[in-house]
Amino acid sequence: MGSSVSHAAAPPPPPPAGLAVALPPKAEEKSEKKVDYLNLPCPVPFEEIQREALMSLKPELFEGLRFDFTKGLNQKFSLSHSVYMGSTEVPSPSSGTIKVPTAHYEFGANFLDPKLMLIGRVLTDGRLNARVKCDLTDNLTLKINAQLTNEPHFSQGMFNFDYKGKDFRAQYQMGNNAFYGANYIQSVTPHLSLGSEVFWLGHQRKSGIGFAARYNTDKMVATAQAASTGIVALCYVQKVSEKVSLASDFMYNHMTRDVTSSFGYDYILRQCRLRGKLDSNGCVAAFLEERLNMGVNFILSAEIDHRKKDYKFGFGMTVGE
Amino acid sequence: MASRVSSKGKGKAGRGPDDGSTARCVKDWSTWAMKKAKVVAHYGFIPLIIVIGMNSEPKPHLSQLVSPV
Repeated sequence: MGSSVSHAAAPPPPPPAGLAVALPPKAEEKSEKKVDYLNLPCPVPFEEIQREALMSLKPELFEGLRFDFTKGLNQKFSLSHSVYMGSTEVPSPSSGTIKVPTAHYEFGANFLDPKLMLIGRVLTDGRLNARVKCDLTDNLTLKINAQLTNEPHFSQGMFNFDYKGKDFRAQYQMGNNAFYGANYIQSVTPHLSLGSEVFWLGHQRKSGIGFAARYNTDKMVATAQAASTGIVALCYVQKVSEKVSLASDFMYNHMTRDVTSSFGYDYILRQCRLRGKLDSNGCVAAFLEERLNMGVNFILSAEIDHRKKDYKFGFGMTVGE
Repeated sequence: MASRVSSKGKGKAGRGPDDGSTARCVKDWSTWAMKKAKVVAHYGFIPLIIVIGMNSEPKPHLSQLVSPV
């Protein structure tokens, strides 16, 4: 029976065993797979629960000129030089924010190892941005994030201990100003994961609790977050094709009765990446990264705020990986 | 009023060394240690990355650190 099937079906005669192996997997795919609740995939970290939406809807918009040069000395170690000339917004007591022209040069060093990652950036005014990620064991990771300044009492630091289990993740955070937090996220089905977080601010004696849920398939991701600080955030990302994805986001702040909703697109094409978004605050933004050559990228950023009549355009180049 | 202030001051000075002095000492020393650690991290973090990077394999040359090519 096997040999007659093989002669009839395929011109170059494969051995009957080969054809028998080729057919059943396709049938298996179509039938419904039984869910193995003891072998669920590991969920994404709690702080990255909205990462697809953040990548599409919140590109790093800037105003002015930006030039980044990254020079690799070897596989793991690289230095970066970055120049920025433009305006930054400074909150002013009188009229909201005012634009102050600034220019700075930033020197950075990166060391990237599978087990240890060190990233440091120092600005001309002495501010240091430091990020450390160290794998203490296979499942336990230590992350340190710090912004150190020369002015006293303006520095910030945060220590995170992450534990990755089979189908859950737990994190404990300690920050300056006596900030303590913990969060936990667990996969409950192959597509759905639920998580929660608590935090405690020592100096202001404030504490809060929040819950999050994330449902994702190959084509879409939907997340919902609610916190006792009165913030409800929902977002939905749909991958329309290999190159295009659309994202939308809704945020409600109960304390300030503030509602914001935005809709954006993300086109990842061969030579460029174009992201755009439209906001309920009357803000339209677009961000283009065009690959001119191997390692040379040209960046254009535009943000138009119709309500505040604020127009920001920026251009730049990135050289190096 | 002056006598009240002076008595309050004396009372506080009298109470200090007896009441929770170890806790206060630990807190003072940990604040001092955090301040020193912050200064060390501020000046030493980038040189630490450069030292670790220059000692990783394959060892880059010192001139590569400075030249733009």
